[in-house]
Amino acid sequence: MYQAAETVSATLAAPLDETGLIRAAQNGDQEAFEQLVREYDQSVLRIAINILRSPDEARDVYQEAFLKVYRNLNSFRFDCSFHTWLYRIVTNICLDHLRRRKVRKEESTAVETSDGPVDRLLQVREEGPHSDPERQTWNQELAGGIAHALAGLTPRERTVFELRHYEGLRLRAIGDMIGTTEEAAKNCLFRATQKMRMSLETFV
Amino acid sequence: MTCPDAIKEIPNYCYGEISSETEEALESHLAGCSACQKELARHRKFLELLDERDPIFDAGLLVECRNNLSRAVRQQIAVESSHSAGWRGWHRAGEYLRDLSRVHIPFRIPVGAMALMALGFFGARYTPEKFGGVREALAEPMFSSVRSVEPNSSGQVQIAVDQTRRRLVSGTLQDPSIQELLVNGVTDGSNPTVRLRSIQILHEAPSNNADSEQVRLALLGALDHDPSAAVRLKALDGLKQFATDAAVRRALANALRKDDDPNVRVQAIDLLAKHHDDSIVGVLQGLVQREDNPYVRGQMTNLLEQFNASPGTY
Repeated sequence: MYQAAETVSATLAAPLDETGLIRAAQNGDQEAFEQLVREYDQSVLRIAINILRSPDEARDVYQEAFLKVYRNLNSFRFDCSFHTWLYRIVTNICLDHLRRRKVRKEESTAVETSDGPVDRLLQVREEGPHSDPERQTWNQELAGGIAHALAGLTPRERTVFELRHYEGLRLRAIGDMIGTTEEAAKNCLFRATQKMRMSLETFV
Repeated sequence: MTCPDAIKEIPNYCYGEISSETEEALESHLAGCSACQKELARHRKFLELLDERDPIFDAGLLVECRNNLSRAVRQQIAVESSHSAGWRGWHRAGEYLRDLSRVHIPFRIPVGAMALMALGFFGARYTPEKFGGVREALAEPMFSSVRSVEPNSSGQVQIAVDQTRRRLVSGTLQDPSIQELLVNGVTDGSNPTVRLRSIQILHEAPSNNADSEQVRLALLGALDHDPSAAVRLKALDGLKQFATDAAVRRALANALRKDDDPNVRVQAIDLLAKHHDDSIVGVLQGLVQREDNPYVRGQMTNLLEQFNASPGTY
């Protein structure tokens, strides 16, 4: 019983800490802001890399998103959780990038080399020269397959899939972030998983 | 529930995004439908396959992003300070930055980088609370290299110059700026000896002194990307203190999967053995089948036995 009470208080303490951090950052406490950044920045970078499939653009999104948070933190009124607010900023910036990219014609992460097309993103992930050829081939084939499957999704499907599968966010929260209903997010996820499965059929 | 309805609900079921009524209806349908059971098994396999995707991204990129953000925030503060306090140094920095908006676009990036370097330099020198315990000395003259040269419309020439000055910095391991430099040494050092020494010093730092998150990321990055097996082994040494962390354990499994140095794989197994973790049993069972080094295979088999799992159940 005593242990259960401790667990409950620990669970309740976490959001209070974050609230305290946000309030401190709103009052100009740089260290509190830095702690907030550290709390979420790996997820932010991962989301941006996986949605945009470009480490360079992800670097820009990271900076743009956290600077936006820094400048607008005072307007955060705790109407939603901080991570919902932050991820909404990040996904909107990512979707903006994707829209801009569409205007400039969708940029492929593949570049032509003398050995044929090479995916720049896979180069980043698989650049370790220490993999043996067999392992490297398997990793590259799988990573290439997943990258190809993700590239076949619409920006919205990719965003929903990324946030649900890799970030573990609830569909209700995702719907809220991208300005749609939970049901629409659910349908989007279904379409995304169907496309992904078809694309990765040879691996399953 | 019909088969098409069940198929539509299976992804939601696997993600736990299903109401209790639908869950009940689906499970009752599954109990009597072998085709949908197979579909569920295939979907689960698909989800497992997605999780095989390397979960680690380049830790160097994260460190770079953090450093860039830190500079950009300092820049923001500098501009704000120049407006409010009118402090001379920051005011000048602010003026300099405002001038950037008038710079011809191709020069914004290099000149911006210079401005940020300058701010970083001023920031380091004039924010004593940040660099409190660190002593630094200018050891070498400044090295310059011209990045770009371009005439502008007013008849002048704009030259972007990168300037590098070597500084000797000393301080204790408790100092966050020293820790940050060591982390940069792990991720950015072009010299393997620098990377090795940086890891060693971070590893030997009392855990309550180092920013463990930053250190952990740097070590994970070294384990994943460093071309030198000696550095990767040293990174594994440093990761011992984080051996119970789920992300570290995934990275260890990843090293087992893709590192071609058997010593690294053996050390990864040793670390995995320190904490019973059922979630990696499946991964190990798959890897033991593909492992070509008999000693490493033996170690993997021992580990599976330690986890009460059979190496033959793959």
